[in-house]
Amino acid sequence: MDIFLSRLFAGTTSGAVYVLIALCLVMVFRSSSTINFAQGEFALFTSYVTWWLAGKGVNIWLAVVPAILIGFLMGALAERWLVRPVRKRDETAVLIVGLALFTGLNGLSGWIWGSDEKPFPRMLPTGEDTYIDIAGARLHYDTILIVAIMAAVVAGLTLFFNKTSIGLQMRAVATNPDSAALCGVRVGRVLTLSWGMSAAVGALAGPLLVPLVPPGQLGLSSMFPVLIFATAAALLGGLDSIKGAVVGGLALGIGLAMVNGYVTFLGGSMSLTSALVVIVAVLLVKPTGLFGARRLERV
Amino acid sequence: MSAVLEARDLVAGYGGLTVLREVSVSVDPSEVVVVLGANGAGKSTLLSALSGQLPLTGGQLLVDGTPVRNARPDVMLAKGVSLVPQGRGTLTGLSVMDNLRLGAVTRKDKAEVGTDIDRWFTVFPRLAERRDQVAGTLSGGEQQMLAVARAMMSRPRLLLCDEISLGLAPVVVQELFVTLAEVNRELGTALLLVEQNAELALEIASRVYLLEVGEVGASGSAESFRDDNSIRAAYLGY
Ligand SMILES: Nc1ncnc2c1ncn2[C@@H]1O[C@H](COP(=O)(O)OP(=O)(O)OP(=O)(O)O)[C@@H](O)[C@H]1O
Ligand SMILES: [Mg+2]
Repeated sequence: MDIFLSRLFAGTTSGAVYVLIALCLVMVFRSSSTINFAQGEFALFTSYVTWWLAGKGVNIWLAVVPAILIGFLMGALAERWLVRPVRKRDETAVLIVGLALFTGLNGLSGWIWGSDEKPFPRMLPTGEDTYIDIAGARLHYDTILIVAIMAAVVAGLTLFFNKTSIGLQMRAVATNPDSAALCGVRVGRVLTLSWGMSAAVGALAGPLLVPLVPPGQLGLSSMFPVLIFATAAALLGGLDSIKGAVVGGLALGIGLAMVNGYVTFLGGSMSLTSALVVIVAVLLVKPTGLFGARRLERV
Repeated sequence: MSAVLEARDLVAGYGGLTVLREVSVSVDPSEVVVVLGANGAGKSTLLSALSGQLPLTGGQLLVDGTPVRNARPDVMLAKGVSLVPQGRGTLTGLSVMDNLRLGAVTRKDKAEVGTDIDRWFTVFPRLAERRDQVAGTLSGGEQQMLAVARAMMSRPRLLLCDEISLGLAPVVVQELFVTLAEVNRELGTALLLVEQNAELALEIASRVYLLEVGEVGASGSAESFRDDNSIRAAYLGY
């Protein structure tokens, strides 16, 4: 029982990480119908910003704030000046821009901060007694924090989409940009804002997830596996659904923790492969995901 | 008195294809005008251009006699021109309520939006009963009611309607036209109707434009058109 609970807690922790990045992917997909492959690298860059500020003596909780603002600007500028100009010409060009952003941001991070792994400060203290004992299993404060922040982000986004005028406009653009434009929605602005918000959520998620994802340090390849898992989670839940991102992320996190725990012959390193299997399976069996309405028509 | 909306020598099309060749039309305040034309004549293209949806390659739009610089849908809406597009202009993924709220995004007087929603629920009680239903699951007639109400939520001075009778039962069409006539009479909203159902449209219209492959072929009073035998034969079928 305690082993089961330990695995459940570990799975929930990584699940919450996937949910946060999957939410970013969903926000972009809803407005632009594309998967932003550079989503992880946005979060990587802003995580370096947080790390750098923390190294200068800024409290880590405060250091996240400028990182979120920078994230918002990066996302908004990327949509306005890189994605939108090529979108008019060619849909596949958007993919190329995503890949270019991916490598460009990764290179930029490496150029500024170097390629060595950085020990990352934790947002909560860790030590011998930073957990709650439940039937012999340890529920770490880290897990509680990331689940709480994930819940807060989901609640905030849900309220934003359902109760505000700009949220309504975003939902309208998500269902039909042309009809939304006829209602007077300035579709371009909505797209820019969606990308900005998405990268801002990523900037909040980065510092939370870096210490939790092996090797627990910040390096140039920190975000890539997370992006793959988050893509699998978003596809599983449905690329245009917030609820889908939550269910997909948690299901994937907990599912993989159980598989790795019980099916030992697969070995821990098989997780990434499992995630890719999930991606292919969803695309083949149910391309709209569990809760989605729209499928991935082009990447 | 200048026209609510005047189009001077509009040229517009899709890519390399020019559909409108120097089309000029105008609608006076509170006037009801109908545009008739065969399939493919460019009626939808005309309304698309008038609503700011389709960029112009020539000519200009004037609202109250003043040229509109960058005609985009939000700009035209803010100037009082609203379109009910051909084939159910609703956001099918959103609820009836959300569709109506969305129709009002360009308005500054947010406080009165609720009052207007209530008014349209009184006009179309069937929408009121289905306020939380997703628009895509409404019947064709209900969707068309929603499309009209949504377009009216911006409180336009000119409502452009693209074949709102298409695919609807005669009774429903009759109801919709009665509502449109009331809107025109009570709110003073000018109407520009594109219709296949010329007979009904001619009943409430005072002026007619005949669009023939991208050009205005003829225009005149609705009365003269009703009496004209050749037009009767071509558009009314009797
Ligand atoms: N999006 C588009 N891209 C390319 N060509 C188009 C497009 N929309 C319309 N056309 C062409 O423009 C011409 C005019 O079309 P339009 O829809 O304006 O006609 P219409 O008078 O509204 O016809 P209908 O009575 O069938 O609705 C047609 O030849 C049509 O093929
Ligand atoms: Mg048409």
